[in-house]
Amino acid sequence: MDFGKTEEQELLLESLKTVYERGDFDTYFKECDQNHEYPQKAVDSLVEAGFSALGIPEEFGGTPTDIMTQIMVAEEAHALGYPSLCWINFSTEVDDILAFGNEAQQKEILKYALQGIKPFTLGFTEPQAGSDSAAMATTATKREGKVYVNGNKTFNTSADRAPYMLCVCRSGINENPYKDFSMYLFPMDRPGITIEKLDKIGNNMCGTYEVHLDNVECDESDLVGVEGRGFYQLMKNFEVERLTICAANVGMARCAYDEAVKYAGQREQFGKTIGSFQLIQEKIVDMKIKIENMQNMLYKAAWKKMNGESISIDSSLVKRYTGQAAFQVIDDAMQIMGGIGYTHDCRISRLWRDQRVYRIMAGTEEIMVHTAGRALIKEAQ
Amino acid sequence: MDTVACYKVVPDEQDIVVNFDNTLNMDRAKSVIGEYDLMAIEEVVSIADATGGRAVLLTAGDERVTDSKLVKAALSRGAAELYAVVDPALASADAFQTAAVLAAALRKMKFDVALFGEGSSDLYAQQVGSLVGFLLGAPVLNAVSRIEVSDGKIAIERTLEREVEVLEAVSPVVLSTTADINVPRIPQLKDILAAGKKPMTVWSLDEVGGLPASSVETVSVLAPASIERKMVVYEDASAESIRALASDIRALR
Repeated sequence: MDFGKTEEQELLLESLKTVYERGDFDTYFKECDQNHEYPQKAVDSLVEAGFSALGIPEEFGGTPTDIMTQIMVAEEAHALGYPSLCWINFSTEVDDILAFGNEAQQKEILKYALQGIKPFTLGFTEPQAGSDSAAMATTATKREGKVYVNGNKTFNTSADRAPYMLCVCRSGINENPYKDFSMYLFPMDRPGITIEKLDKIGNNMCGTYEVHLDNVECDESDLVGVEGRGFYQLMKNFEVERLTICAANVGMARCAYDEAVKYAGQREQFGKTIGSFQLIQEKIVDMKIKIENMQNMLYKAAWKKMNGESISIDSSLVKRYTGQAAFQVIDDAMQIMGGIGYTHDCRISRLWRDQRVYRIMAGTEEIMVHTAGRALIKEAQ
Repeated sequence: MDTVACYKVVPDEQDIVVNFDNTLNMDRAKSVIGEYDLMAIEEVVSIADATGGRAVLLTAGDERVTDSKLVKAALSRGAAELYAVVDPALASADAFQTAAVLAAALRKMKFDVALFGEGSSDLYAQQVGSLVGFLLGAPVLNAVSRIEVSDGKIAIERTLEREVEVLEAVSPVVLSTTADINVPRIPQLKDILAAGKKPMTVWSLDEVGGLPASSVETVSVLAPASIERKMVVYEDASAESIRALASDIRALR
């Protein structure tokens, strides 16, 4: 078993670090967070250094990259302090469109991904349909050779910037909702689309929106994949999405850990460093154990995915675990930092706000119990 | 124009530990390409690209220079191939010895412009580039902050203390750059992957005529002694404060 990185992976991570240092990103992200601004300057530097090309096939102008390396890069970026939800490797979107999109859709979506622009916002969650995806009520109705989409989607990340929406709709062809969903890809500037910004507690650099779809006219060719197969297509999408989300979790935890441990070795109270107190040491040791566990689970899942094994259970386990463990590590890091950790001067406070949503989005940690629990029992029979 | 950049493999300064007796402990220092040499590499690649020539790299040192990760790190920056003179004795070679070896290696290569960084990021003697030019009998300039090649002519700017000197040179020419001549590229994954496939030629010392005797004896290499911060704040620029500052400085000597 080889736990080492390849020389190529090491050099790529060094390039990432150079981009980060040259851009003085720490200061920049602090400003963007305060001003609720998308970190475009950082995105531009990363795109220039080729990071948005990772994982995109050569024929579309990208650099073929295995999922393991993509995860490593995403983790490292977050460990350096890159803001979550702003990462520019759209492996989920790329994977999705390559698996189910037609040639024209692939060309269009990958063109944006290559430029570091989130190509589409996923129209999945609705006000009344979160974990219960079967309750989705957005419809795609065919009329005179056209398709009309009606409904409301919510928690749409980057709906203000993404040029497209990949929208999951009821097709009205099957009573079983799971066999009735279809995906449509349409530009966000189509008539009938309005967006409304949500005011949330963290991830200030990336806007999240409610999207209203009022008779949005699509062509039948805007269908992605097979009519009525949208739900199954989505489930495949979620496997990759969960791995990239977990990479962000591990990275954010490492970022908080690095800062807190350094501080523990320098901050003096009662005439000695706080790191010499065993209550602080216990926190540090447990934080480190969690980081190691998270990495091991994540990399094993990525390795299985690379080797063509199913990760349907693994992706749920790793999503649940890294969401919780990263939250605990960041929270402990804030505790070690004391009052300073609660101020906006210290980036741990941002991580504390930003990471919290990872226990909710892309499948809550409770839904992960539901998906993995059933499968584990079935597996044992 | 065919170009060659020379670089040195040095210990990463971030990992160098100063011992209590001010000697340097490099045991934990990873080997990296000299920071200023990256500008030389970038410059030869851009000259070669602009003139339809070929850029290659040259280094000399002990077996560390052929470490495959370091070779990939060097070749991921656009040059076509690497030449390396490898011998354990080169790890402790002085500036003249290194220059003699590099000059002998350059004689075996065809080039119009040979470029060096501002100085090595370990010893920073800033001598090797000039010595190589002298040994080759080629025009040699240091502190070069701009190189423009057109119609076979090499226009050079040197940033001096009070002026910018503009010169024109004929090839072959040996130049040492300033650290601000360019911002070295950040290698992309495709460059890193391609670097692994580029050729490397290793020469022994014998193949470049051996190592001349050193005329320098290194007695010791020590970090400057550090002193504790005095934590004194001079509130204003009054004559009294300035007198106090001056007298405090005098007291430290």
